[in-house]
Amino acid sequence: MKKQKAKLRKRVIIAAVFAGILVLIAVFSGVLAPNDPYATNSELIRQAPSAQFLFGTDNLGRCVLSRVLIGARTTIASTFFLVAISFIIGMIVGMLCGFYGGIVDDILMRIADLMLAFPQMVVAIAVAGILGGGLGGAMIALGITMWTSFARLARSHTLSIKNEPYITAARLQGKNGLQIMMTHIMPNILEPVLINALTQIGTTMIGISGLSFLGLGVVAPQAEWGSMISEARAYIQIAPWAVLFPAAATVITIIVFNYLGDAVMEYRKAE
Amino acid sequence: MNRNENKTPVLSGRDLNKEYTNRDRKVRPLQHVDFDLYPGEILGIVGESGSGKSTLLKVICGIEKPESGKMFYNGEEYTGKGPEKTGKFLQMVFQDAYGSFDPRMKMEKSLKEGTGASKDEIVHAIGEVGLKEELLDRRPRHLSGGQCQRMSIARALLSHAGVLLCDEITSALDVTTQAQVVKLLMEIRDMEQVSVIMVSHDLALVSMICDRIMVMKDGVVVDQGKTDDVIANPSDEYTRKLLNSIIAV
Repeated sequence: MKKQKAKLRKRVIIAAVFAGILVLIAVFSGVLAPNDPYATNSELIRQAPSAQFLFGTDNLGRCVLSRVLIGARTTIASTFFLVAISFIIGMIVGMLCGFYGGIVDDILMRIADLMLAFPQMVVAIAVAGILGGGLGGAMIALGITMWTSFARLARSHTLSIKNEPYITAARLQGKNGLQIMMTHIMPNILEPVLINALTQIGTTMIGISGLSFLGLGVVAPQAEWGSMISEARAYIQIAPWAVLFPAAATVITIIVFNYLGDAVMEYRKAE
Repeated sequence: MNRNENKTPVLSGRDLNKEYTNRDRKVRPLQHVDFDLYPGEILGIVGESGSGKSTLLKVICGIEKPESGKMFYNGEEYTGKGPEKTGKFLQMVFQDAYGSFDPRMKMEKSLKEGTGASKDEIVHAIGEVGLKEELLDRRPRHLSGGQCQRMSIARALLSHAGVLLCDEITSALDVTTQAQVVKLLMEIRDMEQVSVIMVSHDLALVSMICDRIMVMKDGVVVDQGKTDDVIANPSDEYTRKLLNSIIAV
């Protein structure tokens, strides 16, 4: 058992190191980018990878490496922001529904059921289409359905502990509902909901990149992996590197964060 | 045995009724329940599982509201008030001692957070229940069941409540620890002059430490009186069966 836990801990550390490196790259992408990611040059159109342009150039002569690095900031930051907002909203809604129950619980959970009845991407495409292009619209479109998984999880955990003797003891000590939720319920349900947030990072990244790929997310010339793939696929046969590198960046990042989420979940299960 | 028969009850329940539906079946865990708790006395409530004794405790401390009937503390009605209000005059010691403390909190924080007591007061209170200061730095899972139950009693003491509700507090403990906790409870009753309601399915234990006994069956009080009287002259067949079961054991 100890050996297995040590092995799982090692997995968590490895995944966390890789995720940390990706986040650092995103944070310092402005410094790391060798060229201006938005500078076009008609003489450098669709240049193959070379010493000067490690990932080649795109249809407008822009450095693909610089755009992948700057795109990391857009993709990772927007993903983190969306997951964080959905996490906060889901936690609040889930705790309130689970703790107080009643008609508010009924209404909010039926809304959540409604959201879960459709595939997330279908709803996101419809909403993003209505809202028009832009990163903000894409985030709202994904966020509309995303909070529900956090809310359901937070609600079920709140329901499982709200009748614990220590909650009754806190009520007998004069604590009101808000104080009990902040002091006893939130700290005790935080961990499983946080782990869920970790596992949602990969899916959210696919969502944001997917919407951008469809032209419903980030709009040109802003660098974002999905929109870069979308732009470059028109000339994939003559400059495959312009698709390959942002696609590889997306796949690697999603794998790393999914791996981190799974590793943390398995480690906590073993504990 | 009852030292309080001429005193005004500290806690009273009158014609308490509770009803709920479980899978289309009406359940009445409390039916016309009357009781009095006098200052400084230990009232034992006994009965088998499902007899309504735990529901009665929930109604007393305001976790559940009765369909009808009234609750009084020192003659003042408090029916319908939630545990946030009733906690000022009564506290509960739970069957699940571990579960009665937040698993993430150290004992000092748990005791302080609930009662607002200072460190000195906390140290004094846990000293009174026979625990050492060093245990304050531990989480509940790092205490034994008996230590945890003592901490629970200390928390009740720190709240300066006049009434202590004990819900099967010894059932999860080993025999030696049971005796220690019961002894502690009696000492506290004598020292702090608190009144205690002790819910248990163990008539033998209740008959040893309680001044009066109330026997419940299917939500109805079938027998009530001074411990010696109830044991010597049970008025209900169910009480006789309970007594016979002790003798048989």
